[in-house]
Amino acid sequence: MTMNTTPDPLIERLAGELEPVRVPARREGLAWVALAVAATVLAIELIEGLWRGIASGEASAMFWIANGLLLVLGLAAATSAVTMAGPRVGNAHEAPRWALAALGVLPLAVLATLATGGESHSPLADSHGLACALAGLAAGVLTAVTLVLWLRRGAPVSPAAAGLHTGLAAGALGSAAYGLSCPIDGAAHLGIWHVLPVALAAAIGRLAIPPLVRW
Amino acid sequence: MIADEPTLANLMRLSQQGDRQAYTVLLTEVKLWLERYFRRRVAPAQLDDLVQEVLLALHRKRASWDPSRAFLPWLAAIARYRWVDHLRKAYRREEAALEDHDAAEDSGEEAVLARLSLDRLLVRISARQAEAIELVKVEGLSIREASARTGQSESAVKVNIHRGLKKLSALVEKAE
Repeated sequence: MTMNTTPDPLIERLAGELEPVRVPARREGLAWVALAVAATVLAIELIEGLWRGIASGEASAMFWIANGLLLVLGLAAATSAVTMAGPRVGNAHEAPRWALAALGVLPLAVLATLATGGESHSPLADSHGLACALAGLAAGVLTAVTLVLWLRRGAPVSPAAAGLHTGLAAGALGSAAYGLSCPIDGAAHLGIWHVLPVALAAAIGRLAIPPLVRW
Repeated sequence: MIADEPTLANLMRLSQQGDRQAYTVLLTEVKLWLERYFRRRVAPAQLDDLVQEVLLALHRKRASWDPSRAFLPWLAAIARYRWVDHLRKAYRREEAALEDHDAAEDSGEEAVLARLSLDRLLVRISARQAEAIELVKVEGLSIREASARTGQSESAVKVNIHRGLKKLSALVEKAE
C-alpha cells in the first residue's frame, strides 16, 4: 500500500469532517414503495371505494392478467429505481424492459382485434376511459415522490434512466392500484386505458425527474 | 502499488463507521487510484480538479456504498459520472497536447480495472463520436481544429460531441 507522506489539505479536511453514516438497505427503499402503494390503495378505498366484485368472483380473467402485468412491471421498475440509488459499474437494469414488453402485448392485442374486426366497439368510444387513465396516473404520484426522495438520498449515476424507471414504476403501480376500483374489466378498456398511465408517467418521469435527482 | 479491493472495502467500511484514520488512508489510496484511472482521459491540467471532485462526491455520497458489495465498481461508477459531467463542462484549454503517462501497470488488478475503465465506455459510442469528444473535450482543440483534423464538418463535430456525451451518460454503470 502506498502512503503519501505529504498530507493533502482536501483529504485532511474531509477526514476532519467525517461522521458515521447509516447505510440504507435496498429492502428499506422497497418497503417505502410498498407503504406508498398501500397508502394509495387506502386513499382509493376512501375516495372511490374498491370494486367489491373482485372479492365476490365477478372479475374476469383479463382483470387479473392486466393488473398482474401492471404489478410485475411496477415491481421490476421500482426495484430498479431503488437499486440506482447505490451505483455500481456492472449494475444491469433490464428487468423493467421485459416486463414492459409483456405489458405492451395488451394494447397490441386490442389493436389487432380491432384491425381484424373482432372487436365491435372502439376503445376510443369508451366514455370512462380517459377518467380511468388520469386517475391511474394520479394514483402513481405518491410512489413517484417516494422514489424521488429515495434517489436523492443515494447517488444515481444515470439520472435519465432513474427518471424513466421511476415514471414506469409510478405509472404501473398507480394504475394497478386504481384498477382495484374499476369494474370495467373488458380487454379493450384495460388494454388501452389502464396501460396509458404507464406511458404517460414514463414520459413525465423521463423529462421531469432527472433534474431532481442529479447531484 | 495501490491498495487492493478487499483493503479498500475494509477501509470504506470503517470510514462509514466514522474512523477518521481509516478514512485518511482510504482517501489517499483512492486519490492515487483515480489519478491512474483518469490518466489520458482528461487534460493533465484538469486532472487534479477532477480527482478532487470525485473525492468530494465520495465524501458526500459515502452512505450509498453497500458494504456487502465490492468497493471499486461503486467508486468507478461515481468516477465515470463525474468524468462525463466534466467533459460536458470542458472548454478549450491552453494545454492542447496530452502527455503520455504510460507507467508500468500493476498486473494484479488489471482485469478489474479493464472492466471498470473509461475505455470500456468509449468503445460503446461510435468512433466518430469518441474522436470528436477526445479532440475537443480532452485535448482541448476548438471545433474548427477538430473539424480540420478529422475531416468531419464543424456541425458534425458538434453533433457527435452532443450525442456521444448523451450516450456516455447513459452507459455509466455498463461493465461489458
